[in-house]
Amino acid sequence: MSGLPPTTSVKRWLVTTNHKDIGILYTITALFFLLFGGVMALLIRLQLWDPTSQILSGLAYNEAVTAHGLIMVFWFLSPFAFGFANYFVPLQIGADDLAFPRLNAVSYWLYLFSGVLLAVSFFQGGTLSAGWTIYAPLNVPMYTPSIGSTGAVLALAMFVTGTTTSTVNFLTSIHHSRAEGMGIMDMPMFTWSMLATVWMMLFAFAALLAVGLILAADRVLGSVYFSATEGGSLLWGHLFWFFGHPEVYIVFFPALGVMLELFQTFSGRRLVGRKWVIISICLISVQSFLVWMHHMFLTTINLEIKTLMMATTIGISLPFDLVVFALIYTLIKGRIQFTTPFLFAFGALLLFILGGITGVFLGAIVLDYEFRGTYWVVAHFHYVMFGGATALFGGAYYWFPKITGKMYDEFLGKLHFVIFFIGFNAVYFSMFLGWETPRRVFEYNPEFQIYHQFGTIGAFVLGFSFFIMFYNFAKSYVSGEPAGDNPWDYSRTAEWAVSSPPPLENWPNRPSYASGKLEFVKDYVPDGGPAMKTDDNGDVATDGGDSHSAHISEYPYWDKHPSHASIWPFALALALGVTLFGFSGFAEAVTVELGETALQSNVVISNAMYPIAIVAGLVGLLYTGVKWGLEDFYAPPTEFAERWPFNGVEKVKLGMWFFLASDVIVFGAFLSAAIFVRYNAGWMTWSPLTESLPGLINTFVLITSSFTVILALVAARRESRQGLLATLGTTILLGFTFMAIKLWEWNHEIFDRGVTISANAHGDPIQASIYYVTTGLHGIHVLLGLVIAIFLFVRAYQGHYLDDERPIEYFGLYWHFVDIVWVFIFPLFYLF
Amino acid sequence: MYHRQGRYKGRQTNMIDPVILQQGSDWRAQAEVFDEIFFVFLALGTLVGTIVVAYTLWNVYKYRDDGNRSDEEFDAPVVGELPTGQGGPKAKKLFLSFGLSAIVVISLVVYAYGLLLYVEDGPDTGDEGDIEIMVEGYQYGWAYEYPNGHTERGELIVPADQRIDLNITSRDVWHNFGSSDLRIKSDAIPGDHSETWFAVSSEDVEAQGGEATYRVECFELCGPGHSQMKSQITVLPQDEWEEWYAGTGNSSASANVQAPGAGVTAPSGVSA
Repeated sequence: MSGLPPTTSVKRWLVTTNHKDIGILYTITALFFLLFGGVMALLIRLQLWDPTSQILSGLAYNEAVTAHGLIMVFWFLSPFAFGFANYFVPLQIGADDLAFPRLNAVSYWLYLFSGVLLAVSFFQGGTLSAGWTIYAPLNVPMYTPSIGSTGAVLALAMFVTGTTTSTVNFLTSIHHSRAEGMGIMDMPMFTWSMLATVWMMLFAFAALLAVGLILAADRVLGSVYFSATEGGSLLWGHLFWFFGHPEVYIVFFPALGVMLELFQTFSGRRLVGRKWVIISICLISVQSFLVWMHHMFLTTINLEIKTLMMATTIGISLPFDLVVFALIYTLIKGRIQFTTPFLFAFGALLLFILGGITGVFLGAIVLDYEFRGTYWVVAHFHYVMFGGATALFGGAYYWFPKITGKMYDEFLGKLHFVIFFIGFNAVYFSMFLGWETPRRVFEYNPEFQIYHQFGTIGAFVLGFSFFIMFYNFAKSYVSGEPAGDNPWDYSRTAEWAVSSPPPLENWPNRPSYASGKLEFVKDYVPDGGPAMKTDDNGDVATDGGDSHSAHISEYPYWDKHPSHASIWPFALALALGVTLFGFSGFAEAVTVELGETALQSNVVISNAMYPIAIVAGLVGLLYTGVKWGLEDFYAPPTEFAERWPFNGVEKVKLGMWFFLASDVIVFGAFLSAAIFVRYNAGWMTWSPLTESLPGLINTFVLITSSFTVILALVAARRESRQGLLATLGTTILLGFTFMAIKLWEWNHEIFDRGVTISANAHGDPIQASIYYVTTGLHGIHVLLGLVIAIFLFVRAYQGHYLDDERPIEYFGLYWHFVDIVWVFIFPLFYLF
Repeated sequence: MYHRQGRYKGRQTNMIDPVILQQGSDWRAQAEVFDEIFFVFLALGTLVGTIVVAYTLWNVYKYRDDGNRSDEEFDAPVVGELPTGQGGPKAKKLFLSFGLSAIVVISLVVYAYGLLLYVEDGPDTGDEGDIEIMVEGYQYGWAYEYPNGHTERGELIVPADQRIDLNITSRDVWHNFGSSDLRIKSDAIPGDHSETWFAVSSEDVEAQGGEATYRVECFELCGPGHSQMKSQITVLPQDEWEEWYAGTGNSSASANVQAPGAGVTAPSGVSA
């Protein structure tokens, strides 16, 4: 599968791994979810028309509210931005593609199929109805019993998996593939915003993944985390908002990046205080992780912590002030062209200013006490998040000519903006006026009816305005004027230096900024050797940058043509979707009746569809995973690139590090949950559920296996096939020993001591849940490691990895990480 | 667990000037404190917002591209240039504006923080002594347990001129007890107790015809009946209330309540 079919063929869009194709897929899918979430919004607005008579039942209304929030935040805003990021970040940094094209494709397909799973959940007895914040314990099956609720939670977990792979990809690309001469401070502002976004995503989405997995365990396997009165509700609050606050900036930053680009392009001025804007963006990214408890001021958090959170909250508003002023001053003395993209970007700034000012109100705790749970909050975050996203529509108009090669209709674009802007303010400003209405309540105080009716009319106007955009884009795509390579007078970034649309591999020759501006240089490619840089005289140059020629020769296939097509990302994501669909109904369809021993226990299946889906999905995952591993897919590293601060780190290793960093947060969240609940239950009232001896033995087993993985790498480097097989084989055996002891331990707990995931004969049930879920997550990591190890073992048997031992090394990184996690789990669950 | 207020009692009296806090009457209701801060924020927010937006709009209009500007002194950007910023006088203006906005924001919050300490602790309403009421949220209503063990549903009946302390929890899911009229609000979290207070003066009660009522709503999504989770706070004059309260006595504890044991004092969660 290396040839890429033409764009007119459906197959092209299933197999493509090209960043521009995937960018288009993201954008179109996101616009579909805009409509989906928009329909939910209109249902909400119709319900609010009259506080005494409704069109939806309370449950249906809650489902609409929940789906609207989830879809807009997760399935629309971020993916819409990532459509542009996919298309333009590689172009802006001078790369041929993202670092891992297949991973990029799988990110998209995970996104799409997670959306399908969410849509399916409506038909599984109703989707989730606990609000997009999914507060505990409303989120447990006792209060939201439908299968669809579980389906929506799993859809979210799947979505987050996709964003994690995407995050790793963008981080690696931006840190590894910038064209020669483009230092990190030289990156265009959109790319800078995306870099800050993905850094935040790496940690924030890991926390969401963790909390989603815990919730999935509660809903599918019967653990009792979030129904526990020992802090279960607050545990959700803390973990969710640790993700949730950075998420606001994750959504906003790409839009900010578009604003920063468009303000420069359409005023002909360069950004004022550029360095300080970048510093502000970096500061905000860090600070975003230190403010989350301001969402919980009315819980029982003590005053000192609230004061601290108030201070950090005010602190985070300051860099934003600087960015806003920088945007405004950039325009001064410019030649401002009121094109559609600029109008949207400028409108976004105005809306964001209002959102920012009303946010300062919320920062004052006394005011927050009253605003909590009211339409003030709803109005504020719509002004910030949707107001920011207004700039993304500007981005859509701005880049439309580049993506399609055709110019959009300027009149229809401006008409869209005017109607959009009026509708926007009608909906959301009326919310400020009727702010005393409680959120998610439709039988509100009739005093506020006039504001809500005004808002409903505004919502329909706002919704209508998008059809002008769809019509404009469709019409222009078919019969628009040819746009040329660069339709804008003052554009600067590299995407405007290539044709519209750009060629498959983006550049005519290697892009370089070494001379201070973009040039396409022709490298000297010796016969049978890697490319070499040439200087002005055509001689081979030997200095400059972190040249890849040093380690390009490590790639055995360096001279192969890059691949652009693979079906396995699609297949893998589909298989995961089927698996998760199966798990959504698992608790309903499968009942385990425990007997005296495991053999005497009964498994009763009431609905075979779900277990069959699980098995089929898992088999599919294994099959597609192996096929993926075996596929001859070549994504070359950029040969000459700026890599600060990761000079000299190989591409895949860098990706692995980013992935492990996010996994640290996942485990960190699980362990924090264990500590938080135990603290609330009274630390000393708990003692280990299990005997410490099996845990101790397992500790030694795992540490030994870490050692054998190192030996495997040494053997591969020495090109000793037997040594490699022996050490890898030992590692696998040790891994299975670990799993066997674990199995014995669980069996002993369940059948000899009466400790199951939801019941505990010796104490708090939540203690048992935490033990099974945390060690279970670790066990799944070990199991996944074993699958990879067996794959490597078979390949090693066939003689691979002796000339290129890096897969062994990177597997080792993962395996060591899993062992280190155990070192934290062991004392917490077996010793104290 | 944490307690929002209990641990700080006594300390705060040193930190606030009682004269400022108790202007006019003996104490200030949360609604008064809120209204004051809200007004200050609204006035300043409108002012700053208007200045910034007006300034921006005026400049955008002034520097519109009307095709009449000369190319001299205009350093137009070109495709492929390495991005640079703009320095000079604009950068100075940037820091000046930034500094000003920082001063406005920080002073606003410091000002509001002083009043927060008062709201957290509540006023001393004199010799009468506070009444502490246990509030328990459930799907979909509120149960109010008085010090004498009497439990009332649907309506919280309290005397005027007295500080009412609410100790709020939930029997099932996360609720939020709030009355917009009184500007009070607190989370009702299963397994946890949060606190807030309010007081209504007898003048207010008389102004409403001898019996003041205030809407109570749930401010956290709690299930399909969230919209209908309404209640009411009724404030009676002291003597009337005492008469009513004396009548609740010992007998009524079982009369009004279906399941009094189900936990105001011992909240029962799913896992307990």
